[in-house]
Parts: sequence; C-alpha cells; structure tokens
Amino acid sequence: MRHIILALLLAVVPSIAFGQGNAKVPDPDPELERKTFIVAPGFEVNLWAADPLLAKPIQMNWDPQGRLWVATSEHYPQIKPGEKANDKIIILEDTKGEGKADKTTIFADGLLIPTGIAPGDGGAYVANSTEIVHLSASKPGEKADKRRVVLSGFGTEDTHHIIHTFRWGPDCHLYFNQSIYIHSHIETPTGVKRLNAGGIWRFNPDKTQLDIFARGWVNTWGHAFDKYGQSFATDGANGEGINHVVIGGYYPTAQGPHTQRILHGLNPGSPKHCGLEIISGRHFPDDWQGDCITNDFRGHRVCRFKLSDDGSSYASREMTEVIKSNHPAFRPIDVKMGPDGALYIADWYNPIIQHGEVDFRDPRRDKTHGRIWRVTAKGRDLVKPPKLVGATVPELLEQLKAPEQWTRDQAKRVLKEMGQEKVLPELQKWISTVEDERHLLEAVWILEALENGEGRLKLSMLDVKNPNVLAAVIRMLSPHNRGITLAEKNWATYASDDHPRARLEAIRALGGLKSPQAVDAAMKALDSPMDRTLDYALWLTVRELEPYWMPEFQAGKLTFGGDAKKLAFALNAVGNKDTVKPVLTLIDGGKIPKENLHGLYVLLTQIGGPEELNRVLTYAIGKEIPNAKRDELVLAVEEGVRLRKVARPRDISVLDQFTKQAGTTGRAAIRLIGHWRIEERRNDLMATLALSTVDPEVKLSPEDCAAMLQAIALFGDAKAKSYLADWCSYNSKMAKVPAQGALLQRLSIAALAGLDMPTAAEKAADFLAAAKAEPELLDVYAAFLSRKAGVPALAKALAGKKLNPDVAKLGLQAVRGSTLPAPELVAALTKAGDLAAARKPPTPDEVKALVAEAMKADPARGELIFRRKELQCMACHGIGGAGGQVGPDMTSIGASAQPDYLVESLLLPSKAIKEGYHAMRVVTADDKVYLGVKIRESDGLLVLRTAEDKEVAIPVKDIVERPQAKQSLMPEGLTDQLTKQEFADLAAFLSQLGKVGTPYAPSKARIVRRWQVIDPTPENQSLFRRGRVSAAAEPDTTFLWSPTYSLVSGDLPLASLPKFSVWRDTADLTVLRFNLDVTTAGAAKLKLNSVAGLAVFLGASPVEPKAETLLDLKTGVQTVTVIIDRSKRTEDLRIELDDVKDSPARVAIVGGK
Amino acid sequence: MFLSTALIAFTLATRAESPTKPFEFKDGDRIVWLGNTLVEREQRYGYWETALIASNPDKKITVRNLGWSGDTVHGEARGRFDFNSADKCFKQIVEPTLELKPTVIFICYGTNESFEGKDGLPKFEKGLEKLLDALKPVNARIVLFSPLPVEPNDTPGSIKAAEARNADLKLYADSIAAIAKKRDLRYADLFTPLSNTFAAWKKHRASNPHLPDSERFLTDNTVHLTRHGYGITLLDFLKSLGYDLDVRAADQTGPLRDAVIAKNEQFFNKWRPQNETYLFGFRKQEQGRNAKEIAEFDPFIEKLETEIDTLRKALKK
Repeated sequence: MRHIILALLLAVVPSIAFGQGNAKVPDPDPELERKTFIVAPGFEVNLWAADPLLAKPIQMNWDPQGRLWVATSEHYPQIKPGEKANDKIIILEDTKGEGKADKTTIFADGLLIPTGIAPGDGGAYVANSTEIVHLSASKPGEKADKRRVVLSGFGTEDTHHIIHTFRWGPDCHLYFNQSIYIHSHIETPTGVKRLNAGGIWRFNPDKTQLDIFARGWVNTWGHAFDKYGQSFATDGANGEGINHVVIGGYYPTAQGPHTQRILHGLNPGSPKHCGLEIISGRHFPDDWQGDCITNDFRGHRVCRFKLSDDGSSYASREMTEVIKSNHPAFRPIDVKMGPDGALYIADWYNPIIQHGEVDFRDPRRDKTHGRIWRVTAKGRDLVKPPKLVGATVPELLEQLKAPEQWTRDQAKRVLKEMGQEKVLPELQKWISTVEDERHLLEAVWILEALENGEGRLKLSMLDVKNPNVLAAVIRMLSPHNRGITLAEKNWATYASDDHPRARLEAIRALGGLKSPQAVDAAMKALDSPMDRTLDYALWLTVRELEPYWMPEFQAGKLTFGGDAKKLAFALNAVGNKDTVKPVLTLIDGGKIPKENLHGLYVLLTQIGGPEELNRVLTYAIGKEIPNAKRDELVLAVEEGVRLRKVARPRDISVLDQFTKQAGTTGRAAIRLIGHWRIEERRNDLMATLALSTVDPEVKLSPEDCAAMLQAIALFGDAKAKSYLADWCSYNSKMAKVPAQGALLQRLSIAALAGLDMPTAAEKAADFLAAAKAEPELLDVYAAFLSRKAGVPALAKALAGKKLNPDVAKLGLQAVRGSTLPAPELVAALTKAGDLAAARKPPTPDEVKALVAEAMKADPARGELIFRRKELQCMACHGIGGAGGQVGPDMTSIGASAQPDYLVESLLLPSKAIKEGYHAMRVVTADDKVYLGVKIRESDGLLVLRTAEDKEVAIPVKDIVERPQAKQSLMPEGLTDQLTKQEFADLAAFLSQLGKVGTPYAPSKARIVRRWQVIDPTPENQSLFRRGRVSAAAEPDTTFLWSPTYSLVSGDLPLASLPKFSVWRDTADLTVLRFNLDVTTAGAAKLKLNSVAGLAVFLGASPVEPKAETLLDLKTGVQTVTVIIDRSKRTEDLRIELDDVKDSPARVAIVGGK
Repeated sequence: MFLSTALIAFTLATRAESPTKPFEFKDGDRIVWLGNTLVEREQRYGYWETALIASNPDKKITVRNLGWSGDTVHGEARGRFDFNSADKCFKQIVEPTLELKPTVIFICYGTNESFEGKDGLPKFEKGLEKLLDALKPVNARIVLFSPLPVEPNDTPGSIKAAEARNADLKLYADSIAAIAKKRDLRYADLFTPLSNTFAAWKKHRASNPHLPDSERFLTDNTVHLTRHGYGITLLDFLKSLGYDLDVRAADQTGPLRDAVIAKNEQFFNKWRPQNETYLFGFRKQEQGRNAKEIAEFDPFIEKLETEIDTLRKALKK
C-alpha cells in the first residue's frame, strides 16, 4: 500500500496542472448567471448586491436598521504562511430603497475565516477561527476598533466545519453550530463545556452561559425557528432534508453519553443542504407561510419544503424549487427573509466547493466574487421596512404583533438592548392588553431575554390554550433554560397534556430537573398516546435522570406507581447491570404487557449473567414465539456471550434442544457450544462431522459445517488445533462423500487460521496449490485477510509454490475486496500464479484521457451499468435514498464533483473520501482485523458498519490496535471488469447525476424507488406451487426477496425484472413489494403510470388498482405488494405517493438497501 | 499607547512593595508556556510576555505559547478527530513542548481542574506530577504558576459564587505550591496578587463611576482577563517571578508588544494550523502535500524574533 500512496503523492503535481487545463471558470457576469435561473411561478429574482461590493459571502444576518451584515473570507480554505489574517465583515445597505444595495462598509478586517456573524449588543458577534469575538466601533457607522474575545477554544480541524450558522433565537440567546470534526473546549464561569463532534450550541452572552442544545450531524449549516420557537436544522453532508430539533437530542454522528439511539431528518434521501429560513410575512402568498427554504448548493437549487404536524414532530414535503440553475458557479449557501418581506439568498459563487477533495491551492477556487439575490413575488406589495431603532418601547411592543417574523425578532433585539429597567414596566402593561396568545408568547420570550433567567415568568402563562404556545412556554420554564422550580406534579400534568408537542417539551424539560420525582412525572407521558419522537424523548430523559432515580428505585422508594409498563420502559432505557434484578422481578411478576416482554428478554441478553441467558433461551424455545423473534433472541444470546464473555449456564438442556433445530437458531446454538467450551458436546460435533464424510444420508449444509468447525475452533486448545489441522490435510478423495470431505478441508483451513496461523498458512498453501479456481476459495483467502498475522503468514507459505493462475487471481480479488494493504501477499500471489505485475495507479494523463472519453459517453448506458448487480454499486450507494447506505448517497454527485475527481474516485476510492465515510481498522486481541465506518462508541463497545452493511460490535477492551484509517470501504478494482467504453459511460452517468436540466436532476416527487422482488429460485417456486401467488403479500412467509431499484427518472424497468410462471402453462409473473412508513394514520394515494396487468395488495388485502389508488393506512410500516402479469404489461412501472386532500395521514416511502 | 495615564497611576498606587527573589533568566532562554485560556489569550494581547522581555532587556528570551483553552494537566482539550484517548491527549502537551527544546517551562494549570473541588485534588496532583516527569528529558527550569482568582462582578449572587470558587482555587494553588516545594521548583503565585488587584480595582471602580464598560472589570465574565485586565495585571505577573518594571518605561514598549503579537500569530498558525485533519490527520492523503507550507512559517517567525530582539536591545539604552 505504501508504494501506492507514494505514487499518488508523486502524481499530484501534474494533476494540478491538468486540473487547470480542464478548468471550467465561467464568465462572472451576474446577468448571465441570473438568466440561468428557473424561478418558481409567480416569483422573480433580482441582483441585490454583487462583487465588487462583496466577495465570498459565508453567512449573513440583518440588524434592526435593515442593514445586511455579511461574513466574508478570501483566506478560505487555508491561510498562507506569512499572511496576516485579513478577512472581513461587511455591511450592505439599500439606502435609496431601490431594491438593491448601494452602499458597502467594511465593518471589520483582520479576521481569520469568519464563518458566522450576528449583529447585536452595539456591534457584532463574529466566529473567528478558535474564538467568538465581539467587535464594535467607538464611533457609530465606522470601522470596528474594539475587539473582545467572548469565547475561545473552538476546534479548527477543518475550516468548513468551524463554528458557523449564528442565529439569535426567539429568546434572544445566540445559537451557533459546529461540524463533525470539531473538538471544542470552552471555559465558562461554571466549568469547561466540551463538545467533541457536531452539534448546536446555545449561548447567553450576558452570563457567559453556554449549553449544548442538540448533538450530531455532519455539517449543520442551517438552523431556523418557526413562529412558535420550534427549531429546524439542515445538514450540508448528511442528506436527510429538514430536521426537527428536539432539545438535547442526538442526531446522526452525535457523540456523548447517550448515542445508543438517534433521531433523523424528515426527508431521508435528500441532497445535502446549506442555510435555512422559514417564510413569514405579507409579501409571500398564504400557501408559502411557514415553509422552509434551504439550498442544495451542489445542485445549484434553492429548495422549498412544506411542514405539517405529525404527532409531536412534523412531516416535511419538498415542493417546486424557488430557484434552479445549471450555472456551475451558482452556490446558494445562506438564505434569510429581509426587512421588506422579500427573500435574500447569499451566493458564494464558486465553481469549486469541495474542501478536502480539491487542492487548497487549486487556482480554480474563486476568491473575488459573490452575490446576494433577492426573490420577490410578482404583483404583490413589498413590506414597508419598520422603523425600530429610535422607536419608543410601546411602539416596539406593538411591532411584536407584526406578521413578519423578521420584524418581531428585530424588535425584540432592540427591546433587549434597551434593558429591563426601561422595558419591563411597559411590558407588564402591554401583556395585560394583548389577547392573541401568540403575542403573549412574544412577551414570554422578551421576558426571558430581559430577566436573563433570573426572574420568574408568570406561571399563569401556562394556562394558554394554543398547544404550540404552551409548548414554547414550557420550554422557557424548563430547567434547561431557567433553573426555576415548578412542582413535579405540575410537570406531570404537562407530560400528559392533550397535545403531543406540549408533552414533548415537558418530557425534555424534566430531563434537566435532577430529581428522582422528575422521572415519575415524565412517565405520565406513557398514559397518553406515544409516537416515535415522544418515545425517544422519554428514553433520553429517563437516561439523563438515571443518577437521581436509580438509587431511589433500588432502595424501594420509587415504584412507578407499580405500573409494569412504566417500569419496563425505564429499565429498558437504562439497560445496565443494575437493572438485571428488577427486570427479572418484572418478568416474574407476570404483569408485563405481551408486546413489552420481548424487549425485556433482549435487554437480559445485554446485561444478564449465565443463568439469565439460559432464561432467555428457555423463553425463546416456547412454541408461541414467532420464528423471527426466536432467531433474534438466540442471536442476541450469542452476541451477549461474545461481547461480554458470559460463562456457561449450569444446565444446558435447553441449548441441546436448540442445537437440534435447523437454520439460524441451530447454528447460533452450535456456536454457543464453542463460546461456552462445553466439552461434553464437542465430541458430538466431531462425531457428526466425521460421519458426514462416510454416510451420504447425513446431510449437513455448508453453513452448518462452518458453524460446527467454528465451535470447535472456539475451544482454542491443543485438541482443537490438532483436530482442525487433521482436516486441513485430509485427502478428500479417500472420503466416501468426496464433496463433503473437500468442504470440511476448506472450512477447517479457515477455522484454523484463528487458532494457529503458521500451520493454517502452510495447509492453505498446499491446498491452494492443488485447488481448482472456484469462488469458494475467496473464503479461504478471506480467513487470512481478516487477521493481522494472516497476510505475512500466507505470503510466506506461498513462497516457492505454483498456483493455477486463476486461483492466484481469485486471491488478488480477495485482497482488493478486503481493502487491506497486503503488498507482500499480492507479490506472492503474482509470483505463484505467474501473473503479470499488479495493476498500477492511473497516471494523470490516463485520468485526463478517461475524463475526455466520459465527456463524450452516454449517461443512459452508464445508468444501466451502475445498476448491474455484479458491479455492486447500489449495494453501497443510494440515489434519492434508495440503495445501500455504506457509501455516500449519489443524488447530486455530478453537480458537486469535478469529472476528474469522479474518474479518480472510481479507480482509487481511497484518494479522497467524503467525511463520515472513512473506514476505521481495528485489530483485536485475538488478532482479528475489523474494517468499517464507526457508528458509535459507547458502553465499552465500538460499533462499525462494514462494507457488507452490517453493524459489528467490538468490545473496546479487546482492541489492541487502532491505526489511523486512511481508506474507503470501497474496494479498488471494482471497475476493472468494465470495457473502456463502459467505464466512460459510467463516469458520464455519475457526472450528470443531480445536474439541473438533465434527466438526472433531483426530483421532489415522492416516487417509489426501493423495491424488493421475488427471484425465480426453486425455493420460491415451490412455495408458490404449494400456496398461491398472492401468498407473497402475506406476513411471516419464507419467500426470499432481493432488492431492486427504480431508475433516476423514477421508472422501474420491467425488462430487467425476474419473471417466472408457477406452472408450465401459466402466464409469466413478477412479484414486487415496497414499504410505506406511516407515522399518522389516514388515507393516502398511489399514482400509477398505468394499471395494465397489475394486482395490488396493501398488507394481505387486495386493493383495486386505479390511476389513483386509494390506500387507508394504519400507523407503522406497511407493505404494498404488486403482482405483474407480464403477458398483459410491457410498460415500465412508476408509482408515486401523494396526499389525499384533508387527510391527516403522514406517510414516507421507506428507502435504503 | 500602552497604558493610559490613569491606569499608570492605578498601577503605581497598587504596586507591590518588595518582590520575591527573582527567577533567573539567562541570555538565550527559550520559554515554552503551557496552560489553559489564560495562556492562550495572552498571546493575542501580549502584555505579560512583553513585560517579561522588557524587564530583562539584556537577555535574548524567546517565548512559545502552547496554551490551549479548556485544557488541564491531562491535556483534555488537545484531542482531535484522529485521536481523543487520554494517552494521546497527554502526549499533545508533552511532545510539542519537548520538540521546542525549552530551557524554561511555564506551567499554568489548575483552574479547570478546580471545578472538581477537594475530591478532584488527587487526580490533579497525580496528573501534574506525571506531566513534570514527562517533561524531564529537556532538563528545563520549570515555573509552576498558581491559578487566577475569580473576580466577582455586579450580577446578583456573584460575590457568593466567587467566594466558593476562590476557596476551591486556593486549594489548587496550595497544592501546586506544595508540589513545587517538594520538587524544588519555582512557584509563582498569581492568586494572591491578583486577589489584591481585583479588590483594589473594585475601589477604583467605586470612585470612578464613569469608567467605560470595557474597563469596569478586569475580567469579562469573572474568570477571563480582558485585554485591559492583562495590561493592569502585568506587574502582578512580573512580581510572581520576582521582577518589577518601571511602568512608565513599560509605556514605551508599544512597538515591542506589536512585534510580540505578530510573532505569536505566525507561530499560532504554524503549530495549530486550521484543517489539521487534511494536513496531518487521517485525510492527509488529500491535502498532506500542503503540509509543506507549515515549515514556510519559520522564516516569518524568525524575522519577527529579530525585530523583537532589536526592540529589546533598544530598551536597554
């Protein structure tokens, strides 16, 4: 590997030159850019400000005077040695009221990549690399001459991750975000606040009070509050659209003590977004109010999402874009409503957006341009900008009634800065006059801001009727905010309020209450209907409160009112050793609702000792347990034993019953014999294996044999070694059942590799020298490639051996598939197989030639290549959320990445890797090598997602080596099998993906893209023959389904789908299904492109297929099965999900693999 | 201008009578300065460093500030995306220090650790001893500074909160003094003189009701010295090392301070560059080629050191 990296480094210099040669630096004329905009009907866009008034805007925010403050950076991405930091904060003004900026003031310079700006407190708060500084000018209107460090200690590991997205909240606190690589350690008067990953901070500058508001995300580049103060966020790398932010919640990539469960965005499968604003005010039409606007900066689009209530959270739906363009430098990155009620968009204007993937010094990086665009509704009046500065307190209070959130927020800023002495008396008067509860809410917020957490909001404000106002008031009263004490029984009332969002806020508020009674109050929520967000919130609160309630519970002082459901929830949430006894008592009490029982047994596998695990097995063997649940429990027992090294139970009679069973459970039980080293059963395994080679009647599947040999290997003693070594040198020709003998020989080599590497390597070398090239050999190679000592051992053993060239080639394939550096093994295989030298990294000229080919190639053919099963692209990459989740979603890759980068990534996947997709390699004490993307590390376990999309847990204490991973999970050489033309087509397809104006542009339509299809295997065939075809729609059947995906266009090509006829003379059929995730029940419809030849089932019930097929959906994941009579249909299938007017249903199409 | 006339008057009025025995500096000394936010922010303001150089105008002294906000003797704040284990964090204090081959090391810890109160003392002491052992290879003369006291402000409850914090901080200051004594190292007490200065400033504030906002307190949130705070306390800092300086002479050190700050900026960008993940971390295969720029900072730092040297020598006359 080292020589490859070296070669890459050497290749860099010419490739920069090449990059320049291929540079696509567009004509910077703003009018040319504007002409590319396709604007939402009824709207128009005008240029509000452009270079030279500003360059490289990163963030913008308005002040109460209606001036736009913009943080700009020409140093980005990296300051040069000797340079003095000189980035700027500029102020843009439209002094003439002509709808465009005519004045620019440099407010501050001397800054280092300022990524956030919030005017306030007589100047502005600015993100300045490791610090937040407050800048102010001694003379109004002039340049800042005073600089105060407000907070310091923010990490700078990546300049597109450093603190960003400054926003004053409705409570006049400063919210700001940091991204995934950043490690921040901020000293405050109450201690050091540490956040070692992404998240949103909340800061009260008056008191230097800093808290983590929510955790996670890769690049939370958007954060906005709606009119009720609910928070929404967008992510510039994790494509889940709009995220509803629960206070203290953990989102993807979060670090902290409660990473076991995370919350997700509302639009999985979206492209990545930057900036976020919520539409409000009279200039925009009614049907735009409350909509979220964010930017698909890769795809050159300004996007709109419509939110609607969905239980305690929201559903989010993408609408027609505000702007879309194919201009390569149009990079909308921030969006804000303005004082005139129009929408303003900051355009970073740059053909290059990649941070790490493109050289910091690449000359194509634009340093001088930047635009602010203004979106207005045609034929609608603009709002007259309010006069706030210089207004009286009563005038400002009246502005809190304005329909424009801009005006309300800015009026609050002015009031806040006037101070409580001037404002409080007038505010008290004003509160007594307001009738609208929403106005009262503004008063609550300004009180919070003025009293600074010291005063007390009137508890009578909790009497409000509007549930959204109530939710906001509860948040302001919460200990997270104010540290005031509201009696627990009052909190209990709100935890069981009629409205789910009020319950959500109460549950989260209780998490900060630090008392044992708080958990009791929070549990009241379980008396009302729960939804996923409430379930999460309660889980988090119970865990946060554990130090306060667990001792009381153990002392018998806290009983959850004897309610088994509540106790089960609490114990499940905490799930540590302390809960074993109460869990057993709970199960023995027999009062647990059936649906909770399974969860408690799974919990026991995670925390229990030998006898508890035996209890789980005893429960699982019960006849009434469905197969899937039984499998889950037995595998969980095995995982518990593997991870926690739990010893064997005294009585193994239940295990004996399991080992006789077929399939997953049987094999897990067999492996448990090994994990537990049950000597009295080892001989049985050995006898059975021996018998299988002499008696053709003893039929063992390869999987069963593997499990038995693994079990024997797990004994780890001399007896196991010699036993496996004997099989390794077994002469299968001597066996009565030669195939079985050969199988055991091969499997034993793999099993021995975990016990005695030198011997296993020698045996393997002998075995390979005699072997024919069969795909099974990959498993033999894999056994060595998954262990640290395996590569050198096998390489050494192969010295002097001659291999069938195809056997050696399989070895090379295995090396590539393992993504492990194994240069010595590659050399040994090349020599033993007498192969030509291994592949070399492409030269810059080769890449250049390939890019040129791709520019001429056919993306439509490329799409078909991308979909080929054997290429495995879709096993790891999704498009529009459909497909594997191991690698980045490809939805807008073409709009963001340069073609040279795409070509290189196909050939050298590890050269440039998207953040969040770096593989980690760990070696455990037993010499095993694990490679995967880190999902979390908590409770002493490291969890990785492997290239096979499996989650693997590794006990941290077993890890002996954790070298820096510099590689992608994508193996090299995946595209080696393609012809030159095919490679060009594939690259052409990728470079078109997400580009506006091509058939591969992102779509807002809710199209079914991820399907499962029944393959015509003999097993499936015989299941149909025994039953009916429509049995496929029934739950709990044993059909084998494989994934298939729609084209980017949304069509599922019929020709590519497997078909079969049940009997010789019946018509060819194709059976498909997809899932809908229903969070609120109700009616929804499917729009079918045609109904010819279709039979549709919702669950097991037939539904009449129509162009608009109506579905009555219950909550939960629902399955729709489609049977196609191929004799009646040749047309491709396209199904779109749509709303039914006035239906409460909230439905999402399930994506993924 | 360095300090205003009124401030000079204040400083003179409150100056210490008899400094302790001076900590001896040698010509050519290289100081590495370790610590938390107090040290990190000093490099931006430069008052203390400038005062130190100005009070030793006959010696060439170079300072490398390795302060890191939020840090502790365990190096807790020095983790990165690539490494965040206790062992690696600790090495991030030790290795960069040893690499700079210091002859003198200033160590300013204890503030963040003191939030653990009395119960946290054993852990802190063990960590400090471990750090001192780890720094032995360079055989530098070590100065252990006490933490700063908290300055109460005029928000309700602040005086009471400051009393509680100061009691804990004093515990840690005493513990540091004891370790210094045990190891025969120089102990530099900032806690006592700054407590006195904070009290004197309170009187000054009472008799000057029209002080600008930025000068009402010496800290901006009770814990962190303001720009102005560093200026006012520079004599306290010198005194802790046994030095004194004629403030009127100090007033002439503006250009020296400018050079010190400029040098610190270049050094900061060199030793804590942005985008470290790409330059040295696990994504270095993408931008590692640009790490060569890091060495390119050295000539700029050297040039500014020469300027500091020239200005320092001019003070001697």
